[in-house]
Amino acid sequence: MTGLTFSLKKNPAYKVDCSKLVPDKLTGLSLQKILEITLNNGINVIDLFEVSGDNSEEIIFKNCTSQLDYIGHKMSRGNITVEGDCGDFLGANMRGGNIICKDNAGDRVGDCMRRGLILIDGNTNDYCGSRMIAGTIGVHGKVGNFAGFAMKRGTLLLTGLPKLHATIQDCGAHTLPFLALLFNSFKPLSTKFKAIKTNRVQRYAGDLACNGNGEILVLLD
Amino acid sequence: MNINGIQIDDTFAEAFNMRATRVLITAQNLKWAYHAANAMTGFATSVIGCGVEAGIERELSETETPDGRPGVSILMFAMGSKVLMQQLETRMGQCILTCPTAAAFSGIDSEDKINLGKNLRYFGDGFQTSKLISAKRYWRVPVMDGEFLCEETTGMARAIGGGNFLILATSQPAALAAAEAAITAMKKFPNVIMPFPGGVVRSGSKVGSKYKTMFASTNDAFCPTLKGLTNSELSPEIESVMEIVIDGLSFEDIAMAMRAGIEAICKLGDKNGIRRISAGNYGGKLGPHHFKLHEILGEVLT
Repeated sequence: MTGLTFSLKKNPAYKVDCSKLVPDKLTGLSLQKILEITLNNGINVIDLFEVSGDNSEEIIFKNCTSQLDYIGHKMSRGNITVEGDCGDFLGANMRGGNIICKDNAGDRVGDCMRRGLILIDGNTNDYCGSRMIAGTIGVHGKVGNFAGFAMKRGTLLLTGLPKLHATIQDCGAHTLPFLALLFNSFKPLSTKFKAIKTNRVQRYAGDLACNGNGEILVLLD
Repeated sequence: MNINGIQIDDTFAEAFNMRATRVLITAQNLKWAYHAANAMTGFATSVIGCGVEAGIERELSETETPDGRPGVSILMFAMGSKVLMQQLETRMGQCILTCPTAAAFSGIDSEDKINLGKNLRYFGDGFQTSKLISAKRYWRVPVMDGEFLCEETTGMARAIGGGNFLILATSQPAALAAAEAAITAMKKFPNVIMPFPGGVVRSGSKVGSKYKTMFASTNDAFCPTLKGLTNSELSPEIESVMEIVIDGLSFEDIAMAMRAGIEAICKLGDKNGIRRISAGNYGGKLGPHHFKLHEILGEVLT
């Protein structure tokens, strides 16, 4: 079986809601049925994508652009790989599984996510990890403003320090043993995070407006 | 059967069904992994007084542990799942949570799960966090040396306890040297532990006692100082008897370890004062597993 691949034919002039293109909703559907799925604005999958492959647990978006929102929305299992940029709300309300974005993501990555893993090789815009309930988001590039806004639990793993708001507090530099397990789990994945060699991080806890059990871990050399 | 001048009795060891679990303990280095494991498996020689029988199974290299640090694996056996759960939680809380740099992980997969860090997490007083990594849940509990990391559950397996054999020798040093040789050989086997001090027990017991409150008492038939007083099993030249008790995850594991131990003793031979190998049983009526010494040794040595 090969991964179910959605290749964008051309960059749409409007935002597209991709929340129906997740493993949970595509299991057992024939290729024809998938092509007939209606996205927003009355547009069908066939109008935007060339679709190939048959493994709905391994979904790949090719030629992806920032017009594609809600990729991985509410997914609970499987893997989604985004080749190119993606739009806002990547992995929003996610319940499990893995999302790997090879380039940049928009606003509110992982908004309200409860479980699962999102790894972004590029940059993200604002409100990364907003209202996060749990789970893990890694951003290899830069992160916009208000990272971890209203996050309850969960981990934001970053390579550089973003501008933090007042209710995210510095807890110091630490060598955290669980990171060895986390990085081990990245080994089968195609991501820049595989190259990380250190378990040493600066730990910021927050959002203190929501109990403060979330954390932003900034990798140290 | 006689091997290298040592008589192997035509008898069997009688063993019982138990429940077992394995925990992998890692730390900054082996020294601290052993500190944690030794504490966790301390006072765990016999279910009669300790609740569980536990021991260190083997060392683990950095490549064998979940977190890439050196560690040891321990096995813990109990007569039932409830006691095993209680003892595991108590010992985790007092011995692993407390030990600098130590972390604990599941060492056995099974459908039956028992708590490893599931309740220990409350020590974190609300600051604890969990991480679900590759479908396994771990708890991170803030402690004074950093973070205590512990998998939520470990597996529980059906196992066998009470495999044993007796070493009969002409002197106490000879019996102990033979027992040490056996333990050295047996420690190379996975899936088994010898729970007594140094793997050896000198106070073998029989069922019952002249005192009503005692369920077990000294095995007078094998006590060398009682040769003239009781229905002794010992011939005149026997001056000391040592026993090795083996708990294992399967009949084959115990049988293989017993054979390796007895073979190591037989290599020493009668010239080192060892005269007989025997085994402890209750007539075959109490325990469902019978380790017949001649069958265990049969294939290789006769």
